[in-house]
Amino acid sequence: MSVPAALKERVPLVTAAGVARFKRLTEHPDAPRFNHATGDRLVRADLPALRRFRDALASLRAERKPGPPAPEVLERVRAYSGRVPLLRARLLKGLDLRRHWDEVPTSSRRDLAEAPWSFVPDGEDLERLVIYRTAGTTGHPISVPHHPLAVAAYLPLIELALERHGVKLEPTGLEAACFLLGSQVHTYSYATVLSGWGGAGFVKLNLRGTEWPEPGSAARYFAAFRPPLITGDPVSVLEAVRLGLPLAPKAVVTTSTTLTPAARARIARATGAVVIDWYSLVETGPIGYACPRGNGFHQLPHDIHLEVVDRLGRPAPEGERGEVVVTGGRNPYAPLLRYRTGDSACLEYGRCVCGDPMPRVMGLEGREPVLFRSSDGTPVTTVDLSRLLREFPLLQHRFVQRADLSCELTVRTLPGERLDRRKLDAALRAFLGARPLDIREDPALGEDGKKVVCYESALGLTP
Amino acid sequence: MQGPGLVLERLSRRLAECPPDFLADPARLGGPGVVVPAVAADLLCSLGGSPLDEVRAAGIQGAESAPFARNRLGLALAACWLLADPWFREAGGLAARAEALLRSGLDALAGAVRFEECVTAADRREELVRVVLAALGLRPDGETPEQAEDRLRSLDSVETRRVAELSAERTARAREVARRMARKAAAEAAAKVSRE
Repeated sequence: MSVPAALKERVPLVTAAGVARFKRLTEHPDAPRFNHATGDRLVRADLPALRRFRDALASLRAERKPGPPAPEVLERVRAYSGRVPLLRARLLKGLDLRRHWDEVPTSSRRDLAEAPWSFVPDGEDLERLVIYRTAGTTGHPISVPHHPLAVAAYLPLIELALERHGVKLEPTGLEAACFLLGSQVHTYSYATVLSGWGGAGFVKLNLRGTEWPEPGSAARYFAAFRPPLITGDPVSVLEAVRLGLPLAPKAVVTTSTTLTPAARARIARATGAVVIDWYSLVETGPIGYACPRGNGFHQLPHDIHLEVVDRLGRPAPEGERGEVVVTGGRNPYAPLLRYRTGDSACLEYGRCVCGDPMPRVMGLEGREPVLFRSSDGTPVTTVDLSRLLREFPLLQHRFVQRADLSCELTVRTLPGERLDRRKLDAALRAFLGARPLDIREDPALGEDGKKVVCYESALGLTP
Repeated sequence: MQGPGLVLERLSRRLAECPPDFLADPARLGGPGVVVPAVAADLLCSLGGSPLDEVRAAGIQGAESAPFARNRLGLALAACWLLADPWFREAGGLAARAEALLRSGLDALAGAVRFEECVTAADRREELVRVVLAALGLRPDGETPEQAEDRLRSLDSVETRRVAELSAERTARAREVARRMARKAAAEAAAKVSRE
């Protein structure tokens, strides 16, 4: 079977079986109206690297202690300190990193918003650069420089989280290993195959009725492929449950926002699957998975260093709350140094009753799900609004919807940029309908040092 | 102003002999370590200044959230040791300028050089001496204003760092990365099995 050039470019390692799988996913009569195309962009040399990461992930899980990072993380910071413009500008030359770790300046979404290039090391070949753009729910709109291999590392990370919950995924060669669900006004949807999972199929889809050929298509598509793994934000997974789609996965991994106990129970009851909450940021990649015994989130990758810090960047004493800060990771285009996530939690150390020795992120706050509605009742998610807002030159924003569906948007524009308020107003009204909408510019938004709650809604999650 | 006895080498040697107490970790927000405003208060009194009130003391302690806060305080301690040299006391009339130096005159240097280096490395010692003298409106014995300025410029760590960052190579790289990022932002990313 010949390999279409476009697919080969997106999935360079695609095989004939992968092509056939891709065709079945995209040409099925009930396939959703895919609006995007992409692939894993992995090349031959990436596969052994991915295997090494998978091995290290399993073998390097060990108890950590509070304090400065492990020597290998410190070594990586040292190696990057002369090459990364942001580190060069901020890190005092010759600073004893181990002794004065709390002197290492923190970085944040604001740095990524203002100078994303300053995270990219000098000399790093830019050929494989990919960009993820997000306004997120916690801060400034950002462009995150990323690398396909670092993105593919999500696969072994998910496998490990599933294993910790007693689920063996075995995705190799599956027609569809995973469906990633969205339920929103607009989201990219596509099908592809993943070389990191032996060419298994993967579909990102939007459950919204208008995205499918006819009523009943979604149910038939789900029934035809029965992916063993479902991922998506809790609202979207609950929507799939509400629609009565035939879900029979081994595991559901919920992302983006907090999974409440009630939502977990409902999803588990409806699907019979293990339901795992997942803590991940675009900038950091996956950070933690929910402990099977309910003890917060276990640090997932071995190659990051987690801290919680106070406002000044000093490590909070063990057991005390602070902002979650991440150092390390495997993204060569954005090696993170004390990166503030904007989330609040405390850290616990020592082997957990579930058996995982890695630190636990406890009492995580900052991921509360928020749902808005347009004037005709259609759900509008924070992702919808983030996607819309990122087209405008904003440094920060805060969007509030009241119970009467009226809305207020407060924005801080990027320095030196001008906001086209009329265009912004029109774009928002296209999503939200003709409800009262106030747009306010506040050049001091976020200046008081407090976290800006970007989205707030007086509406509940269910109609 | 210039004065007999304001010999650069002597002041530099004084810094090199800075006692360990002045190189200890400065205290931050009531934590352990040397309380810099207390040391500064003694110094300023010896220079003829009035006792420090809370507001002025807080100005010397500086904002904890300021970048390089610990390093700035460390530099302030080293500067206090330097200014405790009898020459400054005998010169008189230097308290106000010394206080201004301790409050904000070391901020830029704090972002460029570790305070320990300003004691252990000869060039950095000379730089700190010259920064302190310049802030007080003084210059070393035997130097014209132009010579003092030239020498400080040649040692200037802040400027060296800024110029290095502005080098043609680094500026071109920053532009290239920004350009590539803009181009790639419009292109497809890579498939990701979960969202954030």
